[in-house]
Amino acid sequence: MTVVQEQQRLQHSSHEEPVREELVLGNPSLRDVTARIASIVESKITPKYLATLSVTGGMAALGLFALYYTITTGIGVWGLNNPIGWGWDITNFVFWIGIGHAGTLISAILFLFRQKWRTAINRSAEAMTIFAVICALTMVLSHTGRPWLFYWLLPYPNQMQMWINFRSPLAWDVFAVNTYFTVSALFWFVGLIPDLATLRNYVKSNVAKKVYGVLALGWTGSTRHWHHYEIAYMILAGISTPLVLSVHSVVSFDFTVGILPGWHTTIFPPYFVAGAIFSGFAMVMTLLVITREILDLKQFITMKHLENMNKIMLATGMMVGYAYAMEMFIAWYSGSDWERWIFINRAMGDYAWAYWTMVLCNVISPQVYWFKKLRRNLPLMFVISIFINIGMWFERFTIIATTLHHDFLPASWGYYSPTWVEISIFIGTFGIFLSLFLLFAKFVPVIAIAEIKSILPGAQPKHHHGDHHADASAH
Amino acid sequence: MSDRSLHGSTNTTWKSIDELAHGPQETGEFAPGTTSAPMLDSTVSRRGFMALVSASMALTAAACRRPEQKLIPTVKSLQNATPGLPLYYTSAYMHRNVAYGAVIKTREGRPIKVKGNELHASNCGTASAEMQASLLSLYDPDRIRRPRHGSGQTSYDAAVQKIADAVTEAQGAGKKVAIVVDEHCSPTLTQLLAQITTAMPWVTVTTMPSIVSDNAARANASVLGIDGVIVPDLSKASVIVSVDADFLGTDKLALHHTGRWAARRKPTKDSPTMSHVTVAEAQYSLTGMNADARVRLHPSQLEAFLGALEAELAGAAAIGGSLAATASAETKSAATAAAARLRAAAPKNEAVVLVGEHLSPRAHAVAISINAALGSVGTGKIIDTASVLPNSNAKGAAIAQLRSDMESGAVHAVVFCDVNPEYAADRGMKTAMAKVPMIAAINLYEDETASLAKVSIPAAHWLESWGTAVAFDGTITVQQPMIAPLCEGVPSTPDILIALAKKINPAFLGEMTTYAEFVKSWVETSILPISGGATWTKVLQDGVVKTTSVAAGAASMNLAAVSSLPTATYPTGMAVLAAPSLALYDGKLANNGWLQELPDPVTKITWDNVALISPKTAVQLGLAADTTPKVVIKANEQVITVSTASGTIDLPVMVQPGMADNVIVTQLGYGRTSTGAVCDGVGSNAYALGAMSYVAPKSITVIDGQRHRIATTQQHHTLDDGHGERPVAKYMTLGDVAKGDFSVVAEHFNAQGPDGKPLAHGEKGEGNFLTPLSATADYKYKGHRWGMVIDMSQCTGCSSCVVACQSENNIPVVGKEQVLLGREMHWIRLDRYYTGDMDTPGAVVEPMLCQHCENAPCENVCPVAATTHSPEGLNEMTYNRCVGTRYCLNNCPYKVRRFNFLNYAKGDERKPLDLVFNPEVTNRFRGVMEKCTFCVQRLHEAKWNARDNGRSRVLDGEAVTACQEACPAGAIIFGDMNDPKSRVSMTQKDDRGFRVLSDINVRPSVTYLAKVVNAPATEKAAGAAH
Repeated sequence: MTVVQEQQRLQHSSHEEPVREELVLGNPSLRDVTARIASIVESKITPKYLATLSVTGGMAALGLFALYYTITTGIGVWGLNNPIGWGWDITNFVFWIGIGHAGTLISAILFLFRQKWRTAINRSAEAMTIFAVICALTMVLSHTGRPWLFYWLLPYPNQMQMWINFRSPLAWDVFAVNTYFTVSALFWFVGLIPDLATLRNYVKSNVAKKVYGVLALGWTGSTRHWHHYEIAYMILAGISTPLVLSVHSVVSFDFTVGILPGWHTTIFPPYFVAGAIFSGFAMVMTLLVITREILDLKQFITMKHLENMNKIMLATGMMVGYAYAMEMFIAWYSGSDWERWIFINRAMGDYAWAYWTMVLCNVISPQVYWFKKLRRNLPLMFVISIFINIGMWFERFTIIATTLHHDFLPASWGYYSPTWVEISIFIGTFGIFLSLFLLFAKFVPVIAIAEIKSILPGAQPKHHHGDHHADASAH
Repeated sequence: MSDRSLHGSTNTTWKSIDELAHGPQETGEFAPGTTSAPMLDSTVSRRGFMALVSASMALTAAACRRPEQKLIPTVKSLQNATPGLPLYYTSAYMHRNVAYGAVIKTREGRPIKVKGNELHASNCGTASAEMQASLLSLYDPDRIRRPRHGSGQTSYDAAVQKIADAVTEAQGAGKKVAIVVDEHCSPTLTQLLAQITTAMPWVTVTTMPSIVSDNAARANASVLGIDGVIVPDLSKASVIVSVDADFLGTDKLALHHTGRWAARRKPTKDSPTMSHVTVAEAQYSLTGMNADARVRLHPSQLEAFLGALEAELAGAAAIGGSLAATASAETKSAATAAAARLRAAAPKNEAVVLVGEHLSPRAHAVAISINAALGSVGTGKIIDTASVLPNSNAKGAAIAQLRSDMESGAVHAVVFCDVNPEYAADRGMKTAMAKVPMIAAINLYEDETASLAKVSIPAAHWLESWGTAVAFDGTITVQQPMIAPLCEGVPSTPDILIALAKKINPAFLGEMTTYAEFVKSWVETSILPISGGATWTKVLQDGVVKTTSVAAGAASMNLAAVSSLPTATYPTGMAVLAAPSLALYDGKLANNGWLQELPDPVTKITWDNVALISPKTAVQLGLAADTTPKVVIKANEQVITVSTASGTIDLPVMVQPGMADNVIVTQLGYGRTSTGAVCDGVGSNAYALGAMSYVAPKSITVIDGQRHRIATTQQHHTLDDGHGERPVAKYMTLGDVAKGDFSVVAEHFNAQGPDGKPLAHGEKGEGNFLTPLSATADYKYKGHRWGMVIDMSQCTGCSSCVVACQSENNIPVVGKEQVLLGREMHWIRLDRYYTGDMDTPGAVVEPMLCQHCENAPCENVCPVAATTHSPEGLNEMTYNRCVGTRYCLNNCPYKVRRFNFLNYAKGDERKPLDLVFNPEVTNRFRGVMEKCTFCVQRLHEAKWNARDNGRSRVLDGEAVTACQEACPAGAIIFGDMNDPKSRVSMTQKDDRGFRVLSDINVRPSVTYLAKVVNAPATEKAAGAAH
């Protein structure tokens, strides 16, 4: 019996649980659960899988080629110009960092709040976090004029006796994103250890056994292991929790510390965090709807999970909508002509199409989730999640492009549109992201096997309509 | 060295398959007609190599060199070459027939900067864009390197011999030989040519400028008896009325005029006076942009306006009755207003009317009549008949004569010296050239004419040659060569002419063999005796020598002669004009990246000539649905075919506010076809239209669906972006200044006093800033604190500063494609804002460069601390440290930072272009940010000099930025703001002073003085360009 289960039992014994929907359907046995999830790893690689992987791999290759071309030729192969120093590069960076947030939120905060429904989706959400941060790092490392000098952004002792400029939000970014990546990766890996051990025991091929064995770090499932594991997991969850708030706040400082109208605003940190969670959940939704279907995990990832996520999207979508409205209000209320003008221009200027795409996707489209029927409509939620992904990308683009293209002096105004290189790099990051996710879905348990067992109907002794299967601790 | 016999007689060695296939002469490295330098040729046989070695040994032993010529540096400069330190020499720059004094900065024997000579009255130390950019042409890789005969290269001697043979043949056949030169102001060249024609009477000399404008000279010849152009002194004028005269822009004397004009544009509260400029024009010129009152007239009304003006001012003595007859009611009322102003200034002889060179001789005569009536003609007056532009006599007749001689077969040989009629002149000259057996060209480039010539000889650049120049006031300047010709053995044009004459008549010039000797002997015999004791050394040191020769007597006026002068009939409908380009003028220096990329001060176009039309004309031509700004800009970049009696060209359209309707104005100097890699194929050749004055087009057709992208440095649609009223480029009226109403320059947000309460409107806060709430105390600048003042009332937008900065700071040329993407690299740009409505807009030009903010927003966002603040108040950029995040660029509210998106510096590495670089300034690699440094290298130099002289501080005026140095209007003042007596500190306190975007508290170090328009006080307090 795990510590978690113990605690849960104690909790449940103290009060009567209201009637809730099952988190795992079909009431499988523990063995069934292991077999169901681990069999994905054991099953043969299908041609369909290979075809999909080669498409995403091709996208990644295109992106890497575009990056190679950029680094060898110069940022000039992008569409940037003198008023507009950032374009798709930083848009994509913020977009991917935002995507990552859902993973951390699900794995850390929902864990600490004992939201049991998270169990079915946390593994894939965490994996997504890591892959998204890898994409973000790709963008941010390649966007500089001289990327081979990226290490100058790190504070390290050197013969130049040069320290980094701690006043720069970009320096803060380096810390924020690196911390985020490190903690997320550790959290994910620690959570994986029991399942890797399960796989080690489950797989038949010797090579796979060896690989999973090494990765499982000698896990035997002893009580002592479980004890340490639970504590470590709890600590990492604790460390991750502030990151949900800090990373995107720091990313938003890239803009707020600037003096440009449209950037220099105090609403950005909460607004960016809400937006990040919003976009992160949308991306999790997009991926889960597909994964659930293809890997036939409807049993574990139930409509309840999806509905919960939709509720979160509705809430965060409203927060973002509020932020959009508040930005407009404050621009007017500030009395600053610069601010007023830039927001009017945002809604009515050269990039109005981007602004209204953003509003439509982020504010209007999630409103359908007020209705339970629509919250549980699978095709609809897939479409809306795509809308939100698009909308959130345009949010970052709008913030960056509208502010930079028309700032203070009309004589230096410009316009920006991306070149094929930037588009290819963006496609490439999707390629990297999806390829990694495909590899993950095939070779790593997409659902935390050990954890899901704890939320099986039978795992809770005083469950109302449980069939009183064998108690979880019996196994 | 270039003797072919030294090379292997058979092609036994080879470098590439290409060479085997085509033979050594057609390898791709150099264009056909040029040869590679001998040392680059590898086809030297063993025998040839031995011959070369022994020959060079023999040469060394004999120590046989060209006669030594001593150059004399200026007095202020070091006297001897010291590695690492610059030497300054004086010279003369001839902008066609206008002489400007030049000071050339050389480092290790190579010229790296052209500046103005302070002692020269024409430019008083300032320099035009073209003058400074001509330095780049010196190092142009596209210059011809070897003489050519037919399709093969030849030796210099053989080429001259070929021409000499033709000249001798002509003598035998009783035919003529013509030497055609560009307009110039060199007295020695005039003398030399005279001696040649005396020695060889069958040789004639014709001066053929690209832009022939005889109108003023013809009027002056008839009315005043002076066959030439009189240079007005605008510093004496308080009311100027210009009728299509772009005296601040494309005029050859614009550099001179700008300084004189600007002297009268500094009103203060205590002395609220300034000149008033009325411009009546059909185009929207640089002068029109700077006018106090602008009258927009169709070409058919221009001379009518002049006639009406005369009718008002000269009364019964008026001679322009025929002109006045066609004046419309509006024209008349505009003329009445202008006449009233002129009349008011007439008692002090401070009123003048200027007429565009392209207007008819009769119009010029009427202008003389008006000016005479205003009392402005005479010795010491604005129009001083002694100030005649050298060589500005009417040339049209001589050119027509030459052409008819060529056509009739009377001319056996023509030597084109530095002229390009094939490109510039009308069809007549082109057909005539085909009838001449021997065409020779002496030129920097294998241009359109040279490529038609049988013999083409490379000429030396002005920085490689001796010469002389005389200014309109009689100042003589000696042109000193700064460097031996980069292509070894290339002589100057006069040297070639001397060699040619000597081949025919060995006794020509006696002992003298070079033009250098000719120049020196002329100065010593003709100038020094009348110079009041100057010596040759002093002449070279100063760069100027004034002669004591008596000025020409006062001219007698014969207004009756006007009846013999032709009038012009301008089209009443659509009219086309091809005007000189502000950057390229006539196109002679077209193969110059600095000039091609110099944005036109009015249109902001680079790398192109276009058809400028008014919004209404755009609608009329069917290019736009209506004249609302957002619709009419759709006409931009559409292509039209303009066809006149002389020719047809395609031009992209650009809608220009302020132009008269039914007028198409395009620019000369573009559309080169075979000159060099930079200029070939850029724009269309507007000479083909034959529209030096307004002509009626035969047809104008819109090419459906074709668009030609125009690279502007300001967005196309700043016509009206709805960007509202932005207190960015501030302007006020003279009335406001007189009233002491400087509210315009007050903060956009009212400044706060120390108590945090807003100050009353117009009241200035501490240091003119919004008092910031800062946790830390302000930095105390103990030593120098550099700052700048820019007077927008003085700045015309001439763009000298842009090229000065480009030359000083090794700023790369990026090319049209990159400008289209918005990546031009200029560290100083001239922001042009229109004021008023689309029909008659005014304009404010705001030079914008790094403001060196005290609270620089770029500094705190750089993650690697590559841009930091110096203890002297400079915002410094450390290129080595920059990783290129571009965050500083984003956060710069002035957007003056320039990013090296690609390896732009590489484009300038075509040899020998790399020699043009200033060794004091680092060249920037791709991925690095750059921007104005306040010429930090010059500040260091000034500080070293101060230290060498035992001073701890740089004195005011010792540290001069490149832009300041070049500015003909003196609009830029730079210095130490910590020195209360420095000019910059004093002018900073001017009532008109404001800092751009002061309300965002970045505390710029550049103070702008609001532009003043000579107009009555404004009703509304705040006026700002939008």
